[in-house]
Amino acid sequence: MRKIWVVMRREFVEKVRNKWFIISTVLGPVLMASFIVLPILLAEKGASERRIAVLDVGSDGFAGRLVEWLQPPVPIDAELQVVELGRLESVADSLTTAVGEKALDGYLIVSEEAVDDGRIEYRGSNVSSPADMRILERVMREAVLVERLSRVGVDPALVSQAQIPMRLRTVSIRGGRVTDESGESAFLLAYAVWFVLYISILLYGVQVMGSVVEEKTSRIIEVLVSSLRPFQLLAGKVVGVGAVGLFQLTIWGVSAWLLFQRRDMVLGWLGVNTAGGQEFQFPEVSLVTLGIVLVYFLLGYFLYAAMFAAVAAMSNSEAEARQAQAPVVMLLILPTILMLGILQQPDGNLAVSLSLIPFCSPIAMPVRWAAAPVPVSELALSIGILVATLWLVVWVAARIYRVGILMYGKRPTPRELVRWIRTA
Amino acid sequence: MTSDLVIEIDNITKRFAGHTAVRELSLSVPRGAVYGLLGPNGAGKTTSIRMMMNITVPDAGRIQLFGLPASGRDLSHRIGYLPEERGLYRKMQVLDLLVFLAEAKGVPRRDAKRLTQEWLEQLGLSEWTRKRVNDLSKGMQQKVQFISTVLHDPELLILDEPFSGFDPVNTQLMKDVVVRLARRGTTVLFSTHIMEQAEKLCDSVCIIARGRKVVDGKTADVKRRHGGRHVILSVEDGRPVVQRILADRALVAKADDYGQYAEVELHPGADPQQILTELVRNDVRVSRFEIAEPTLNKIFIDLVGPDAVTARAEEDQGNA
Repeated sequence: MRKIWVVMRREFVEKVRNKWFIISTVLGPVLMASFIVLPILLAEKGASERRIAVLDVGSDGFAGRLVEWLQPPVPIDAELQVVELGRLESVADSLTTAVGEKALDGYLIVSEEAVDDGRIEYRGSNVSSPADMRILERVMREAVLVERLSRVGVDPALVSQAQIPMRLRTVSIRGGRVTDESGESAFLLAYAVWFVLYISILLYGVQVMGSVVEEKTSRIIEVLVSSLRPFQLLAGKVVGVGAVGLFQLTIWGVSAWLLFQRRDMVLGWLGVNTAGGQEFQFPEVSLVTLGIVLVYFLLGYFLYAAMFAAVAAMSNSEAEARQAQAPVVMLLILPTILMLGILQQPDGNLAVSLSLIPFCSPIAMPVRWAAAPVPVSELALSIGILVATLWLVVWVAARIYRVGILMYGKRPTPRELVRWIRTA
Repeated sequence: MTSDLVIEIDNITKRFAGHTAVRELSLSVPRGAVYGLLGPNGAGKTTSIRMMMNITVPDAGRIQLFGLPASGRDLSHRIGYLPEERGLYRKMQVLDLLVFLAEAKGVPRRDAKRLTQEWLEQLGLSEWTRKRVNDLSKGMQQKVQFISTVLHDPELLILDEPFSGFDPVNTQLMKDVVVRLARRGTTVLFSTHIMEQAEKLCDSVCIIARGRKVVDGKTADVKRRHGGRHVILSVEDGRPVVQRILADRALVAKADDYGQYAEVELHPGADPQQILTELVRNDVRVSRFEIAEPTLNKIFIDLVGPDAVTARAEEDQGNA
């Protein structure tokens, strides 16, 4: 036990001291911050004021009323220009030049067909911006609707009352009680859970592989096995790298939480005005969810780390190990490919089977759990199968590891591998 | 009685997929001995040593260290083992690495630190304690490797081909340290395929070939048993007399005549004194007459034949 601890501490200290660990640990929160700031920055940019001209080409005063609609808070600065139909082409040409010179963002041509047929033309440099076009379209749809109704004599007050939009509020029910979570945030949470689990299991699993290969290629393994049992070495290594993983994830998690708590402040530093930003709801993460993610991370990490270690023990070099790891990585990617299926129907057949299949369940089950309630019996079954598989995989991997670390030369054939497992 | 034997190997056999690497090998190393395990590449030396360290397990037979039932790995705090293929963590700092390797053997962290500092100072590496292994020269890395073997003041040193791969300066340095430790009572077992080295260092030897023991015992005994039949002869004049003597098949089995100097292998049963008597009787001025001890190399070749010396490296294949 003491020797496992010695190996573990070395693995932990060396990994944490490594400059890549420091860089990635710092870079994580920066990346997360940019995830928060960028959409707001983009939204802000999208919401920046546009200068447009509104050409009234015999629209019977509708263009004028449209300009009134295009007043703050709508981020468009509209200027009305009455144009006779005959002069339209030449005016349009000069405006096009103005757009080219960036004196103007674009212009609307409002003709007499506007109200009856709902046909209005916009020419501008920002037509590819969905945000800009959405605003313009929304304002015009409303303006046209009001215009049509008032033309047939409907009271404008009644019209504005009829315009009040409806909003569907979704609230998730878990374990037979109403939560504060909205449907959207459950989706978001599931997505985040997938991301964290997939990346961390892969990242730290591959680190175990790298560490085993390093010991083999540097031949220090010859020295190590004289004082450490292969199992002590393997266990210390896997636990050590796992501890590095938990450490890094904790740093990331805490900094992500702090960033959200203080996001106004962070945005303030970056000179971003938060008032215009859309309301973003940080999904509530309950302790139970956190616990389940943690349990599956650990089980999944151990499962894959053992396989990666076995792959490394069979290989003679980094390059060889990278090749040989492909089947293991495939297993991990499988639930990712089927992610959307899980999210769309968290209690569908696909999701349920994936969350029971041991190599997929470390990712599939927590994602399912985050997206929708899962019966406790299924959870227990999933964990049970996973633990049993883990036990078996570790047993096989440890045997491959024991023989493999002292073998150099060509990679074993499947038959030789079976012999290793049997004789070790 | 058994407690005086540091290593006791009883009839071990190890088979690999294609062949038998070690066959019914028995040997015993008494406390305080400097013991050479000799043989050509592929003779089974590394396999035997690995079994002593419990890195591989014999298919048959028994190995006992210090007269205890525990395995080599569990006794690693009492053993300094230098494998044939050696390496270090290249990205670790020298101090951290040595402390880790000592801790892996079961040395408490505090002691490991102190011993590391002492040894680094002794071998002139104290300025490099905080440097990464990668930043060290090859020679310095070899010193670090050697320190990791002897750091914990082991009672038993097991060195597998210790003098191959090291540069001459380090070879000398290591030899000095090994001799010093041996004088203090450390038992040393090392393997080598270079007989001359063993001849100079070992008080006992075991020669193996193709996994089998050929001969073992105290170096002097082995030489006495298998030698005493060689005469080195040099004369100032009287070449015809010498040639006549060398041609005498009742006296000389084989002669290597260099003109001024001849190496003579006596016929079994012949007495070297006869040659000397013959020379003196013929008034030949003798400038050199030496009853030579055969080299271990010569004994080895005599015993197993030149084929075994050039035997293919089966051992390495077995582990590959």
